[in-house]
Amino acid sequence: MKIHEFTQAPNPRRVRVFLAEKGIQVPLEQVNLGTADNRKPEFLKKNPMGGVPVLELDDGTFIAESVAICRYFEDLHPEPNLMGKDAKEKAVIEMWNRRMEFEILQMTAGSFRNTSEFFKGRIPQVPEYGEICKNAAVKRLEWLDGELANRKFIAGDRYSIADITAMVGIDFGRTTGIKIQENQKNLARWHAEVSARPSAKS
Amino acid sequence: MKLYDFTLFPNPRRTRIFIAEKALPIPLEQVDALAGANRTPEFLKKNPSGGLPVLELDDGSYLAESVAICRYLEGLHPNPNLMGRDSREQAFIEQWNRRMELELFAVVARFFLNTGTFFKGRLPQVPEYGEIQRANAVQRLKRMDTELAGREFVAADRYTIADITALVGIDLFCGYGGQPFPGDLPNLKRWHEAVSSRPSAKA
Repeated sequence: MKIHEFTQAPNPRRVRVFLAEKGIQVPLEQVNLGTADNRKPEFLKKNPMGGVPVLELDDGTFIAESVAICRYFEDLHPEPNLMGKDAKEKAVIEMWNRRMEFEILQMTAGSFRNTSEFFKGRIPQVPEYGEICKNAAVKRLEWLDGELANRKFIAGDRYSIADITAMVGIDFGRTTGIKIQENQKNLARWHAEVSARPSAKS
Repeated sequence: MKLYDFTLFPNPRRTRIFIAEKALPIPLEQVDALAGANRTPEFLKKNPSGGLPVLELDDGSYLAESVAICRYLEGLHPNPNLMGRDSREQAFIEQWNRRMELELFAVVARFFLNTGTFFKGRLPQVPEYGEIQRANAVQRLKRMDTELAGREFVAADRYTIADITALVGIDLFCGYGGQPFPGDLPNLKRWHEAVSSRPSAKA
């Protein structure tokens, strides 16, 4: 088993933090997005759209999509639990993970994709749309600060995959100047806490 | 239990089809999003993003996000199975559901949000970005045709949640989006006819 990934990209980090929380060690193989190795025919056989990370199983099959990879490991190694124990908790964590993914991570990523030098010439960039993404992320952080006034973690009273997605999304915001504001005390408290976990370094 | 729904919107349709496939008797309550009923303080207490659908549980709590609602119902009623039976199948179906959501459904939605006359004045539109999304959606449909050459359904040898997401995405593109159904994609056409002829597609 191994994971094809790229350390600097946000989605692979989600899987690395998830595995670190579970104490699972899977060998990592770098796919250099800087030199577009993920667009070469050999990699496209693993994941036709060129995304990382991709999990390679021992029988040679590939599983793409960070959350799908996490779900695979969650099912094989349910403890410590990161995606919910019963039907309701699984659904609540998935709801929060999706909110963090679509309303924060995709917005900080959309801001970067549409304005950064890195993506110039790789994809058609629309800086005006990047600005809309940035504003959406900034507004969502304000809202999230209020949400965290009443609970310790994103999806409830314990750490879950939703915290990982939110942390990765917010940290990636640094690439385009999206950050937690001084007055967002709850968000800052939560961010300091999740960032202090050893998994955050992975 | 009841589902806050809005018939015209694509995300509620995903959940309605899922419920129909499982034959669950869940009452629907319409929230007229065109009239802004999903932006009232009362509704925002149910879902702070104003999105639909929202499932009200018997304990009075609310669950938002179509796939999270489906996951809950799958947990309570695992058969007929739509999200995978073991670790591996769950991961593959999630992989395909996310591909259909992120590479097709969300792309179509962004095309529509950035070019549709309905959204003019309601949100900031960037037509140039919408056009890129339209082209990406067409590319993804072509790829789907190739993928469906080797199998009957999107994620597995049976119908799953990934078929629902793809169906709703394509129907949004070719329905409200006003785009022609690509005529030269026989595998996609065969699949689309098969999933559209299931009674759940009318839900």
